[in-house]
Amino acid sequence: MIFLVDFLSAVVNGISMGAIYGLIALGLTLIFGIMRIINFAHGALLMLSMMVGYWIWKFSGVNPYLMIIVVAPIMFCFGYFVQRVFIKPVLDAQKDVREPIAVLLLTAALAIVFENLALMVFGADYVMAKTTVTDATIALGGITVSAARFYALILALVIAYAFYLFLQHTELGRRLRACGQDRNTALLMGIDGPKTFAIAFGIGTALLTVAAIVLLPFYYVHPTVGNVFMTKAFIVVVLGGLGSVPGALLGGIIIGLIESIGAQYMTATLTTVVVYLVFLLILFVKPSGLFGSRLEW
Amino acid sequence: MLLFRGRYTKLVGLILVATMMMSFVVGCGGGSESGSDKVETIKIGNILPLSGSAAPLGKIGQQARDMAVEEINAAGGIKSMGGAKIEMIYADSKGDPATGVSEAERLITHEQVALITGCYQSGVAMPSTEVAERYGVPYFVPVPSEDQITERGFKYVFRLAEKTSWRNRDQVKFIKEMSEKFGTPVKTVALIYENTSWGQGAVRAWEKYIPEAGLEIVLKEPYPSNSSDLTPVVLKCKNLNPDIIMLVSYVSDAALLTNTFAEHQVKPIAFIGTSGGFADPQYFELTGDNCEYYFDISTWEPDVNRPFSAETNKKFTEKYGYAMNAEAVKAYVAMYIIADALERAGSTDPEALRKAFAETKITEGPTQMYASEIVFDETGQMVNAPLVICQMRKVDGKMQRVTVWPEEEARPGFEVVWPYPGVGQ
Amino acid sequence: MDIVQKKKIGLIVIILAIALSIPLFVTKPYYIHVITMCLLWAYLASSWNLFCGFAGQLSLGHGIFTAVGAYVTIMLFNDFNISPWIGMFAGGAAAVLLSTLIGYPTFKLRGAYYALATVAIGSGVMVLIENTMTLGPFHVGGAEGLIVRLMGNAPAYLQFMSKVPYYYLALAMLVIVVVFSYWLKNSRLGFYLSALKEDEDAAAALGINVRNAKLVAAAYSAFFTAIGGVFYAMLIRYLEPMAIAGPMMSNEMVFLAVVGGSGTVFGPVVGGITLHAISEVIQFYFSDMAQGLHLFIYGLIVVFVIMFKPQGIIDILQKYYNRFLGISDRGEDESSVS
Repeated sequence: MIFLVDFLSAVVNGISMGAIYGLIALGLTLIFGIMRIINFAHGALLMLSMMVGYWIWKFSGVNPYLMIIVVAPIMFCFGYFVQRVFIKPVLDAQKDVREPIAVLLLTAALAIVFENLALMVFGADYVMAKTTVTDATIALGGITVSAARFYALILALVIAYAFYLFLQHTELGRRLRACGQDRNTALLMGIDGPKTFAIAFGIGTALLTVAAIVLLPFYYVHPTVGNVFMTKAFIVVVLGGLGSVPGALLGGIIIGLIESIGAQYMTATLTTVVVYLVFLLILFVKPSGLFGSRLEW
Repeated sequence: MLLFRGRYTKLVGLILVATMMMSFVVGCGGGSESGSDKVETIKIGNILPLSGSAAPLGKIGQQARDMAVEEINAAGGIKSMGGAKIEMIYADSKGDPATGVSEAERLITHEQVALITGCYQSGVAMPSTEVAERYGVPYFVPVPSEDQITERGFKYVFRLAEKTSWRNRDQVKFIKEMSEKFGTPVKTVALIYENTSWGQGAVRAWEKYIPEAGLEIVLKEPYPSNSSDLTPVVLKCKNLNPDIIMLVSYVSDAALLTNTFAEHQVKPIAFIGTSGGFADPQYFELTGDNCEYYFDISTWEPDVNRPFSAETNKKFTEKYGYAMNAEAVKAYVAMYIIADALERAGSTDPEALRKAFAETKITEGPTQMYASEIVFDETGQMVNAPLVICQMRKVDGKMQRVTVWPEEEARPGFEVVWPYPGVGQ
Repeated sequence: MDIVQKKKIGLIVIILAIALSIPLFVTKPYYIHVITMCLLWAYLASSWNLFCGFAGQLSLGHGIFTAVGAYVTIMLFNDFNISPWIGMFAGGAAAVLLSTLIGYPTFKLRGAYYALATVAIGSGVMVLIENTMTLGPFHVGGAEGLIVRLMGNAPAYLQFMSKVPYYYLALAMLVIVVVFSYWLKNSRLGFYLSALKEDEDAAAALGINVRNAKLVAAAYSAFFTAIGGVFYAMLIRYLEPMAIAGPMMSNEMVFLAVVGGSGTVFGPVVGGITLHAISEVIQFYFSDMAQGLHLFIYGLIVVFVIMFKPQGIIDILQKYYNRFLGISDRGEDESSVS
């Protein structure tokens, strides 16, 4: 039997990690929702964000959380650039094709390029940005919680909420949602399609950066670190519903809880299978996810 | 836009056709240049994971080998072959067995290497050694510890590393001895291991040795080696409150586990790692003080009382910026064993080499930093497993691995800290 | 028979003649090995294409079929001494069963959802294999992998010391799958598939049983893929779940087929041979320079091919082929244009 204290620890940990998954999924759901692209380079972009964050921290010593202000715009530009230069031409060429497989493969190939570029430039070593937050714990009424993960949870909630407000109440947010709902009508309405897509990709990448920074204090950085999170991010996106901000966060937390609590009753490797099963169940029963609409495409 | 694509279409098409033809030409016509039987250089093939998630391991393996070969060549090369120098040819296995196989094929049939060494991962070692066996080319395995590598009746495969099961055997022995010495009864053991062949192999050994010692396994917890979070595993373990926690991990998960154990204040009588990630130079960077008082088992530590050990490690540190670990030492020492076999064989003839390896008996020279005597049994397995247990301790403000067992090898002036401070709180 | 048909046949004869005689010119086993691997990948890409290319579905989990084919066959061989020549049909049958079981729930998913489902299933199967040591009387090996019992030179058991028989086997397999692809594409099922690829709802409205069409095509694909897995197992003689069921296997098949030209008969063949040859050549020349350089270059090549030719390499070759046959790009026989 598991003690209540440890059960609660598992719950809190599950929610914290889940919030991080949600944060990673946020960028993905934006890209997936607006452009209908399965972005297989998402993990590699997370890795690049972590690398940039780590090296800036290494040379400047500035607290990683403050660095978000610097790194996010950098990665936004990078994402914008990638979309405009690489993805746009292929997306256009496949405009009339029902399933733009080529785009998916392009992102997968880009992931390989980024990963090995990072390997060549930054080296293969595993590094971590050890700050005061690393290893610190917070006592919440008897439960010990990792400080870094807790801050991650807070930040994830804040960013998700801010992003939600952005989508609902700003002009740009409305444009993004319009493109997501119906690309052609949006174009007819005079919305600049290519530019909006590029901005969407840029924002998606910037959101990733927040997740990357939040991971830095307690997770290692390495050229292949992105792969660890990527499949989970996709599962969260589908679970939560395409293009839904609350869905991404909630979906992430659900997955985090399954992993955390499930591991108390079975081996960690089997919880992975459980997560996949849950995912498949969602796909078969309600593919639009928790908050998605019933629109198919 | 249309024009742009039209212009490039022809170019891309031409490049692709040319590539196809080039690969064909390489295939058919490339045979003329090799055939360098000039005994001025002896080619040795090295299969290592130079890309992918095990890249850091491949890198340090390469560095250790290079340092040894530099020394050997500078000292006159292989004298029985007219001072022939060793030439190292590296092949990237990418951590993938199929790539390991095709690289082995390439090294043997195209590069015509005299022998092969490699390849860090047991999953790659298994099939690639089979390739060498089929061609009758010696394959020297310094690091992979999967038991079965030398249990298949192969004649051309020789292994320096200890078998995984020997590490587990000695870990259990250590537990019993310490428990008696310090009067702390030990009953329960938790096993946490990464879920690939390495971890699973260790579990099989533990399942044999632990019950034999009268102990009880209360947890067998495999985890995916690239987990994003191991808190669930830690909490599960904490809940069972085992006396001993034993771990098999690569560096990133070892660090994750150590840090998470510290976060949640898990305090068993002892933490015992099984080399691998715990012995990686980056482990200290990633864990800081959290790993203090952990035990680890390996075949070499920076402070072992063996000839050549301190100087070689110093040289390596100065050259590459970080210290050696047991795997690097095995790779380094392996080159000397190979050089010794080449000397005695007097030629690169595979059969002569194989015989030379089988008859190896080295008791002098740099190989002593690993073991006092290098001898292989009839399965090609090195018989001495100079296993030592170290404890991570802070020495003059810096975390170090301090050898504490067996007594002959222990660093003077250090007592084992057993049990783990604050146990049971 | 007119001149176009004569040219086509002539071309086929020449290609076959060259292919059959390669082992006579190329003596180094390493090169035979590389060419055999190229043929194997061309075969696997074509097998994937049978369903995914023709029906326009993106399966990113096809590794489960290579795995099932390989594991079933090898387990029957290791533990019951059944020759892989016979065992491979059991492996193929198992794959067909698996594909049908999965097909029922997954085929009503569209586009990206289907792709993600296959990713989940692929990963799930891999994890399951990694965690299974024994299955009844069979030794599976879990993550430690399964060694194929070595018999030296045993043609009756699909084991050869020389590389050359593997080459001919791979060649035969490739020819068979290409012929089958051609037949499938031009059969009624093939027409149904291209209809539903274009627009599933319209096809259903026309009275096509979309689900059955998909199930049958997927079964064909699964069977061929499984046989490919068996070949891989007999060539490498060691099964590791990560390698044979994992993302590397699944993604590679898709890469090769799409870069070559998915939905065509020869696209995956071209993609498989060319891309794998390129990756071997790059590894050959660059892998000992900087760590990761060869993969970086390989990735860049794929990126550029996709960017400039999303329809696949076959598109380029098609132009030259047409020119050779004397057909204009509109498909008319140029010599007969008045």
